[in-house]
Amino acid sequence: MDLLKVENLSKSFGALWAVNNVSFTVGEGEIVGLIGPNGSGKSTVFQLITGLLRANRGTISYDGKDITGFKPYQISRSGIARTFQIVRPFPEMTTLKNVMVGRAFGSSSARSMKETEDEARRLLDLTGLTDKVSATAGHLGLIYRKKLELARALATKPKLLLLDEVMAGLNPTEMMETVEFLKTVRNSGVTMIVVEHVIKALFSMTDRVVVLNAGEKIAEGIPQEISRNEEVIKVYLGDYEHA
Amino acid sequence: MAERKKGFVVAAVVVIALALVPLVVAREYVFSILCMIFLYVTLSQSWNILGGYTGQINVGQAAFFGIGALAARLLWVAGVPFYLSILAGGLSSVILAIIIGLPALKLRGHYFAIGTLAVASIAQITVGNILPGISFLPAQHMATYSLIPRYYVFLIIMVTALAAVYITVNSRIGLGMEATRDDEEAAQMVGVNTFKYKMIAFLISSFFAGLAGGGFAYFNASYYWYLPFTLMWCFEPILIVFIGGVGSFIGPIIGSVCYVLLKELFALTLGEANLLIFGIVFILTILFFPKGIIGLPAKLRQLFRRRGNVVGR
Repeated sequence: MDLLKVENLSKSFGALWAVNNVSFTVGEGEIVGLIGPNGSGKSTVFQLITGLLRANRGTISYDGKDITGFKPYQISRSGIARTFQIVRPFPEMTTLKNVMVGRAFGSSSARSMKETEDEARRLLDLTGLTDKVSATAGHLGLIYRKKLELARALATKPKLLLLDEVMAGLNPTEMMETVEFLKTVRNSGVTMIVVEHVIKALFSMTDRVVVLNAGEKIAEGIPQEISRNEEVIKVYLGDYEHA
Repeated sequence: MAERKKGFVVAAVVVIALALVPLVVAREYVFSILCMIFLYVTLSQSWNILGGYTGQINVGQAAFFGIGALAARLLWVAGVPFYLSILAGGLSSVILAIIIGLPALKLRGHYFAIGTLAVASIAQITVGNILPGISFLPAQHMATYSLIPRYYVFLIIMVTALAAVYITVNSRIGLGMEATRDDEEAAQMVGVNTFKYKMIAFLISSFFAGLAGGGFAYFNASYYWYLPFTLMWCFEPILIVFIGGVGSFIGPIIGSVCYVLLKELFALTLGEANLLIFGIVFILTILFFPKGIIGLPAKLRQLFRRRGNVVGR
């Protein structure tokens, strides 16, 4: 069954169509990769799905409901969470409180503050932030802030998780750990759309890949097909094949 | 948890001790100083829940303080029981907050600050024009005037305000407020209806500012009607919160104690120049101690550690 269905989605900034007539679906339990050169509209698609931007045309349905035009917090409550390309934890709050916010709001909130805190601590253990619990989020290093943002997103108990370049800035070992971690997240029943430039890592975990170029969808398929698609190689993957 | 329990015990002891003061102390001067401290704690903590915890800078606190004073005074002098008058003052302030908050808090950025400052200026001018004179207490109230009931009114308002703010900021609502302050978009992305939490903070803030205004109206035998609307009441709570420690619960309490005592000292020795001194202290605080007195120990530790390192090398 389709968890997310994007139909004829378009968004313009002035004369520029950042996203132009894009349609794709994401099945329940799938990990779908969203790739393309810089400026191809990947992040804009995320902004549209999460309600931070409003589409000029097209519809977004999630779990059988039309959510086009919903406010960001309503979309979060319906079970969609995301991370930002440039990380945005709550800088003045502690790591623990950051995750507690996710747990207290999101799609299903914990019953009490005690439960909120306990579950937030568990998520921090899971994402390797145990010893950073009382650190101020704004003072953490980039890797920890990335982990924190992921923990905060997971704390909202999403059914659909949108990840915007979580691998950027990680070393190969950390990347492998992240891939493994995301696989366990998927196995716990979370569907994902992953925007990523680190193609190797992406292909190792995605079921399907959607390729954007200049705001339009130019290809869609399983990773093996995409890596052989001539147009995709021409506009984006060229270097990857030789690397 | 143990820390929190200790805090409760200390708070209870302090409140009981303050409640017993009138039995032990007879000097009116001590009462009026304590009344002023209670008033400023209430006013600055009410500013803090909106400005410090939720990130919405209200530059027009005088409007909310003033309308609380105005409504309470008018009703009380007209014969309404005092406790009802003061509640009406708090509620008038809340109604004003709803009228301003509905449009201004929908927007992000500086609109709210500018809007509240405009409202305070308009309120001061309007009240000054409509009621240019002095509000005198009727003779029957003057005859029974005593500082002791005033002392208890200010104490009760302060304790209620502190309890309300403490409970709120340590609840799920508080998480929503702090998330809103730190990053509105990111807060919405985890399901926080940021407008709702800004509004809740504003309503709590205005209610207690209005009650403090009611206390002012009860305390003063005579004053110009526009006096509680003057811009001084806008700047003082901000000054106190930043000197004490913005976004912390203890900050406004410490800030108020320091402010009232120093103001008293300076007013005796320097007269009007004391405003200048507080202005300078405010600027220095923002520049060098953004976390205020509360952040001072950590800041000093950091400074000494740095110096220690240099010597070590």
